[in-house]
Amino acid sequence: MVSKIPDPSRHEEFVSLYVRHEPAVFSFVLAMVRNTADAEDVVQRASMTMWRCFDQYESGTNFRNWAFQISKNAALNHLTKMRRDRHVFSEKLIDLLAEQSEERAENLDARRRALDSCVEKLPAADHEMVAGCYAEGATIRSYAEQAAETANKIYKRLNRVRSQLQKCIERQLGLEEEVAQ
Amino acid sequence: MIDRELQDWIDKSINEIATEEESRSLEKRLLKDEQARNHYLNAVNLHATLRRRFSVEGETPSVALFPNRSRKKFAIGLAIAACVALFVGLLAFLMPPSQATATIAQVVGAYGDDQIAFAAGESVKPGPLAISRGLLRLDFSNGARLTIEGPAQLEVMNEMRVILHRGVVTATIPESAIGFVVDTSSAHVVDLGTSFGVSVSAEGLTDVCVFDGEVEVSLPQPTRADATPQLVREGQAIRASKGSKKINSATYETTRFENAWPVNSGVLQTTGSMRFVSPGPDFHPGNFEDNEHIVVFPERRSFIADEAIRVDMVDPGQYAKSRHKEKPTLLPEQRLTSYLLQLNAYPSGEKPNRRRSVRGQITFAQPIVGVIMANRLLKESEVIFGIPNVDYPGARMIEARPEGDQRRGFDSVILAADRRTLFIELQENPGNLDQFRVLVEAE
Repeated sequence: MVSKIPDPSRHEEFVSLYVRHEPAVFSFVLAMVRNTADAEDVVQRASMTMWRCFDQYESGTNFRNWAFQISKNAALNHLTKMRRDRHVFSEKLIDLLAEQSEERAENLDARRRALDSCVEKLPAADHEMVAGCYAEGATIRSYAEQAAETANKIYKRLNRVRSQLQKCIERQLGLEEEVAQ
Repeated sequence: MIDRELQDWIDKSINEIATEEESRSLEKRLLKDEQARNHYLNAVNLHATLRRRFSVEGETPSVALFPNRSRKKFAIGLAIAACVALFVGLLAFLMPPSQATATIAQVVGAYGDDQIAFAAGESVKPGPLAISRGLLRLDFSNGARLTIEGPAQLEVMNEMRVILHRGVVTATIPESAIGFVVDTSSAHVVDLGTSFGVSVSAEGLTDVCVFDGEVEVSLPQPTRADATPQLVREGQAIRASKGSKKINSATYETTRFENAWPVNSGVLQTTGSMRFVSPGPDFHPGNFEDNEHIVVFPERRSFIADEAIRVDMVDPGQYAKSRHKEKPTLLPEQRLTSYLLQLNAYPSGEKPNRRRSVRGQITFAQPIVGVIMANRLLKESEVIFGIPNVDYPGARMIEARPEGDQRRGFDSVILAADRRTLFIELQENPGNLDQFRVLVEAE
């Protein structure tokens, strides 16, 4: 057998496909593992598998579905390890979530795109809080401490802002549909 | 219907503050309610997007992607790379390496198929590699280290993957090479940061033994999409046969790796009655009673002590007991690797209490910087170089011949002029223990 190394253009292809679909993959994994740090780990591991197995991916087929499949395995492995210590989603629910995520992939993409302008419309104080809580390495707790607020208060505010953002996204998507019609 | 209860569970799940009970309630609801799942996916999608959006701001693009564990930076690095056209550093990483994938770091009587000897320093490019006999150590550019014992046939695919058709390999995989893969006809072995051994028999039977850390083993399948990998931890072993649908756990049996493993651990060669043991999970130097062998345990590897270390011997020659001389001291901040050698005799046979005498010779790949014999110094150095959580025994020092004494029956340790070889003769009454520690320059 002769060893084979993908040619450089395949590498560029991988980078461009991965970059395009990484946000979807991260969201997909986060829905299954539910903990941000763990999700980053799983995505990292999955991306390495994708990279290693990229010669098995056929150009032109759906990269996202292929990436989802690999990520789902990585997530299941992770959950198996976690299951001993705490409650994690069952494999049955993972299957259902994965299936639904694939079906709704386009819609979830659209929602991600719509979020940008919604974030811009947030009042300054809310924007600052969201930015603080979601900054690299930050947690709600660490932000609360920094803002000299109780974590509980920040949880509540954050829940409210997220629900406003969700409504804004839905309005936007509704608008887009109207325009399209 | 999206009710307050569901919204509350989802919020708590996202904020990572859900209790076990809330987590179970959420799961129960999601299992039976498609609408609820949609709502949950939307919420997580928003959460994930916010995380990606705000973690990137103000971050400097990272070029160090796969090689270290800075995982968050990976995706961010990629995302930024996409914006700034194609990132030079990223491409440099993702491009196939133009130079060698690995270098032959050590050769112990290793010959190729053509009966031509391998030489240390030769580079290895992706492709087939056949070793008819002897031992060969490959150091990959990402830090992965593989020792192959001939007769062996393998293929080096790239710096993250080899295919082993036949033979024995032992691997030591540092963090920089986590995810390293050894494929055989019957198993797919993915390293998770560890040392392990893989052997493939002529019949295609694959054995995997994990010395340290953990690996994932699954059946060989193109994408392994539906094969759930099995986690194999240190002190565990598995066996898989060609065409089998199952991976079986097996007895942890390291004998077949006893030649290759020392080379991986910095020992070039042992002759005479030496036995190399990889410390498993329940490692205890007292577990290895052996009347025939001096047993070698690798301890801490490539470790920097931040204090001076007193030793008994630094120069070539025979170790002799001396009360008057001050102990030599090794300066701190040297990178050292430590080994513990022992003879632990036990009563057995027709004359159970006969005094045992064992001789052997060991050559390390790197120069020996100090040997520690005295009880007190063994204890001192244990704090630094001992394997954490191991209960080291009390009295165990070797009895060296006092200077000028000509009587028989003393322990003898000689450091050869090459500073890499020790000639050892230990004598012990059953039930007693001789131990000493060797500190070697780290690679």
